[in-house]
Amino acid sequence: MGKPAPLGHGLGLRPVYYDEILSTRPPVDWFEIISENYMVPGGRPLATLERVRADYPIVMHGVSMSLASTDPLDVDYLSELKKLADRIEPAWISDHLCWTGVHGVNLHDLLPVPYTKEALDHVVERISRVQDFLKRRFVVENASTYVTFQESEMDEWVFVKEMAERADCLLLLDVNNAFVSGFNHGFDAARFIDAIPVERVVQFHMAGHSDNETHKIDTHDQPVCDEVWALYEQARRRFRDASAMIERDDNFPPFAELLAELQKMRDIDVRIAAEAARSAA
Amino acid sequence: MTLKDIQTKFQAAVMAGGQPEGADILVSIKDSARTNRATLFGVYVNAYRLRLFEFMTIDYPALRELLGEEAFDALIEAYVVAEPSRFRNARWFSTRLPDFMEASADWRTNARALSLARLERALTDAFDAPDAEPLALASLGGVAPERWPRLAFIFHPSLILLDLAPGVVEALDAVNEEEPIPPVQNEEANAVAVWRADNDSVYRQLEPDEFLALNEARAGHRFGDICQLVAFQDESQSATERLAQFLTSWFADGLVVGFRESAEDQSSNTPSSA
Repeated sequence: MGKPAPLGHGLGLRPVYYDEILSTRPPVDWFEIISENYMVPGGRPLATLERVRADYPIVMHGVSMSLASTDPLDVDYLSELKKLADRIEPAWISDHLCWTGVHGVNLHDLLPVPYTKEALDHVVERISRVQDFLKRRFVVENASTYVTFQESEMDEWVFVKEMAERADCLLLLDVNNAFVSGFNHGFDAARFIDAIPVERVVQFHMAGHSDNETHKIDTHDQPVCDEVWALYEQARRRFRDASAMIERDDNFPPFAELLAELQKMRDIDVRIAAEAARSAA
Repeated sequence: MTLKDIQTKFQAAVMAGGQPEGADILVSIKDSARTNRATLFGVYVNAYRLRLFEFMTIDYPALRELLGEEAFDALIEAYVVAEPSRFRNARWFSTRLPDFMEASADWRTNARALSLARLERALTDAFDAPDAEPLALASLGGVAPERWPRLAFIFHPSLILLDLAPGVVEALDAVNEEEPIPPVQNEEANAVAVWRADNDSVYRQLEPDEFLALNEARAGHRFGDICQLVAFQDESQSATERLAQFLTSWFADGLVVGFRESAEDQSSNTPSSA
């Protein structure tokens, strides 16, 4: 199972932008969907997705796999996910390093994992089973977190690196999540990025967050801030071929503003590629 | 603590809501350099309720308008506590609200609110029900008139028929028009069809005889048998003409997706329930 080819610069496919995307076919290289929003019997979501898929590559990004939960893996969920993947043929499928509930309950949130050896063994085993089930390499994203557990035995980046190498999975590096978690837990996000193995990262997420002074919350309702753009530049210098996208899930601006943010990302990438070419010459 | 213990205590404290001080999970959480553990854990507590309330507000906007914000929030708080999500897909979290209201002594007597909740759930259910291609009325053109009594029709999977309390359709109409919800105008029950047309949920109030006929037709009864039933209900107009009018509107509404010719009625002549 190899590493999928880079897709370029993408955006999230969100219902508020359906009409504009279908009518203008905007200059976006690919779209990412929230998988669960399309795991329904029929109607507008699937009809729209089929039409967008006809013109753009799609990446499936889930929020409910609950990879780190101590509940059994939900085979019905995985079957539905696979059914959607068989229909849409995404470039890859991702979800988060998190859990969403136990004892059959789903809190519909990305809940934090204690970075223990026990949790690492558990997550590695489950990613391996997911990859066997889906018959593809799975992509795992670092989540924004707000608490640090007393039980943690290693830093998040050590956990992520070990997880990826032992499960032989791929990674989605959410640059904003690294920034938010770094602020909340008092680590340098640049250190996180430098510790992530280059060959594992296939995708970046970029997003805005809200600032509560003592802590930051990953809300996806703001433009990307300057500090996260600076971190993106560092990430891009390290992970040259990662596909990149901007997430926006609330306080939706006109679509043109997202295209402008995407252009900013492209400009950064062009500049960094030129710098790399000059220094190689 | 083991991973399982941490997750069990974490979840219990999130679901308990309120101020997390004193929650068992806090012994496993560190203060940060800037704030205390209770504040940080509170991010998850707040997010849980905010998110579930948001799902409910999106799916039940008219019910919220009818009840007012305070009563709606009290209803949703009770629902969140009694019916925590067991769904991977947040889409389904709101679906049990009408059943919860019906089972609750506090809510089952509010017939208008309960019916409005049922109607709004039906609109949500119709929105992403399975797909099927509607038939044009012209597709019946090749069927000789003498065969019509033996025809049975297949309806779009999104079709939901509801027998609702008085004043429910007016309430939803008012909310859609951004007008105040009027008091109940009369005591007649609202028979309603909900379905999906052009990828949007739509609804239409039905006269009692059309409601009866559509229920029977959807149950697979033959055109001829339904004619007899409608004739029994109302003798003022030719039952065949009246049913033909209904059928024409069902085709025009995109409700009919197929038909079959049946030599024998596959069920008894007893009308099926709604």
